[in-house]
Amino acid sequence: MFIPSHTPVRFQMPIDKNPEHSSRPQPGSWRDLSHISNARSFVLMSAGVLTGLILAGYSLFTARSTSTLIVPAEDVALVNQQPLSRADFLALLQTLYGVDLSHASPEQRHKVLDDMIREELFVQRGKELDVASTDPDVRSALVNAVELEIAQNAITAQPSEAALRQFYQTHQDRYVSEGVMRVRDLVFPASALSELPAEPGALKSAIADPQTLARLDGRDSGKTRGEEFYFAAKIHLGDALFAAARDLSNGMSSRPIQLADGIHVLDMQENKRPIPFGFAAARSQVLSDYRNRAIDQLKSSGESFLRKRANVLVADDLR
Amino acid sequence: MRFVVILALACLLIAAIFAADGHAERRLLRADPDLLPADALLLRFAVGRGRPLFMARCAACHGPAGLGDPARGVPDLADDDWLYGTGRVSEIEKVVDYGIRSRNPKALNFVIMPAYARPQPNPADKNISSLSPGEIDDLIEFLLQRQRRQADATAAARGASLFAGHAGCYDCHSIDAEGDSAIGAPNLVDATTLYGDGGREALHMSIAYGRQGACPAWIRRINAAGIRELALYVYSISHPGAIPNAH
Repeated sequence: MFIPSHTPVRFQMPIDKNPEHSSRPQPGSWRDLSHISNARSFVLMSAGVLTGLILAGYSLFTARSTSTLIVPAEDVALVNQQPLSRADFLALLQTLYGVDLSHASPEQRHKVLDDMIREELFVQRGKELDVASTDPDVRSALVNAVELEIAQNAITAQPSEAALRQFYQTHQDRYVSEGVMRVRDLVFPASALSELPAEPGALKSAIADPQTLARLDGRDSGKTRGEEFYFAAKIHLGDALFAAARDLSNGMSSRPIQLADGIHVLDMQENKRPIPFGFAAARSQVLSDYRNRAIDQLKSSGESFLRKRANVLVADDLR
Repeated sequence: MRFVVILALACLLIAAIFAADGHAERRLLRADPDLLPADALLLRFAVGRGRPLFMARCAACHGPAGLGDPARGVPDLADDDWLYGTGRVSEIEKVVDYGIRSRNPKALNFVIMPAYARPQPNPADKNISSLSPGEIDDLIEFLLQRQRRQADATAAARGASLFAGHAGCYDCHSIDAEGDSAIGAPNLVDATTLYGDGGREALHMSIAYGRQGACPAWIRRINAAGIRELALYVYSISHPGAIPNAH
């Protein structure tokens, strides 16, 4: 078989010598790229704008958040890209079955994971349905959660010792011990008022003498029970008698106090007045109060911020 | 040309280091926290990264060595006495995550020590009533006796019936006064004291004016890997043999 290696072929190419009929653009026309053409610029710009608008419109109406197929190591699942934390998974395993990860059976793991996924789906659906607008429990939980979020900085911050000392000095009246008193409340009939000595020393002697007490028909009211904290004594004696008792020193007796049930004379046996705590003793309470104040301040400023950026319209009749 | 090669190698090295760190971090997060102490390499990796976190977040209260401060009721993290749980990594991690009385809904917030010298010892529990000064003294004598310290036997006997009776101490600290680490109620008869020296004055302050120490929740401040590293660091300081020459 013979295959010619070089076969000369000649093509007859028609050459149009007439430039009028050539495909080359006319100089100065919109197809001539060597010259600036207003028409061409306008058409290209319009095409660009149109393409941009189409892309933007498509993205706007079909937008989805970026998604990933990889579950982060700190999570056990992603439900509509919302992570389910591994810490919560472990805590649930422990709560439901009392086991840690290595001792949990595959069934237990699947059950816990399934419960978490179900909960997340319902939470997400709840957001879509805006259940917070109607359910008071959800509203309350949201308010608490947002308040907690606002207060995070104050909760995790560790105030300096200088700041705590300054707070302690400013609010020193809060950090005192509870006063303690042992007082006897003697009650006499109203008729005994004229016979009771007016002079405190003589009155003290009179109430210490059982015979005088018997003659004046005086008796212990039984309102107090030995050594009591101030608040307990106030409850037992009532406001008027407690106010008189608080100012008595050890061994003193009060002047006769007339009340509805008779004449009362208080015999103070021991009165330990409230003592201010030193900073060291009060520190944990100071820290707690300091934090609470910081939290309240943060909540208040958070609320101000929310009010400032909100568009609140109040009905005419409530303005 | 040589410069470009060196630069490329350096970039590769840095990328390899980051990749190795990322791999270790993923292993750390996916492992059962309670099994991590058995993995010496991973434990060393976590402890190395947990230490700076501890210094930044925890040392202000617990001290740089984690020894706590009895004057302020800050627990010692280096001993083997655990107020909450038994010192497992998962338990430590839960405290780091959600805190103690931190206002976080998942915080360990079961009980507080009521202030028995106040009109309302525990505002959250109206059933707890105040005690008289004498009753508080009796309880103190009872606790001192249980700690084998010098105590008034008659007052201690009265204190014992108060402890198991209307004072309600047994409810948290259990009937044998040995506490309940499930709710953070301390053991009142062992040698470890959370507040002060465990003497009369410290006991009086605790019973009369209450205690409610708090630890912040870090879950919204530190990422998951950081929390686990922190938990493992705390585990390592309470288990000095866990990583030889670690500290």
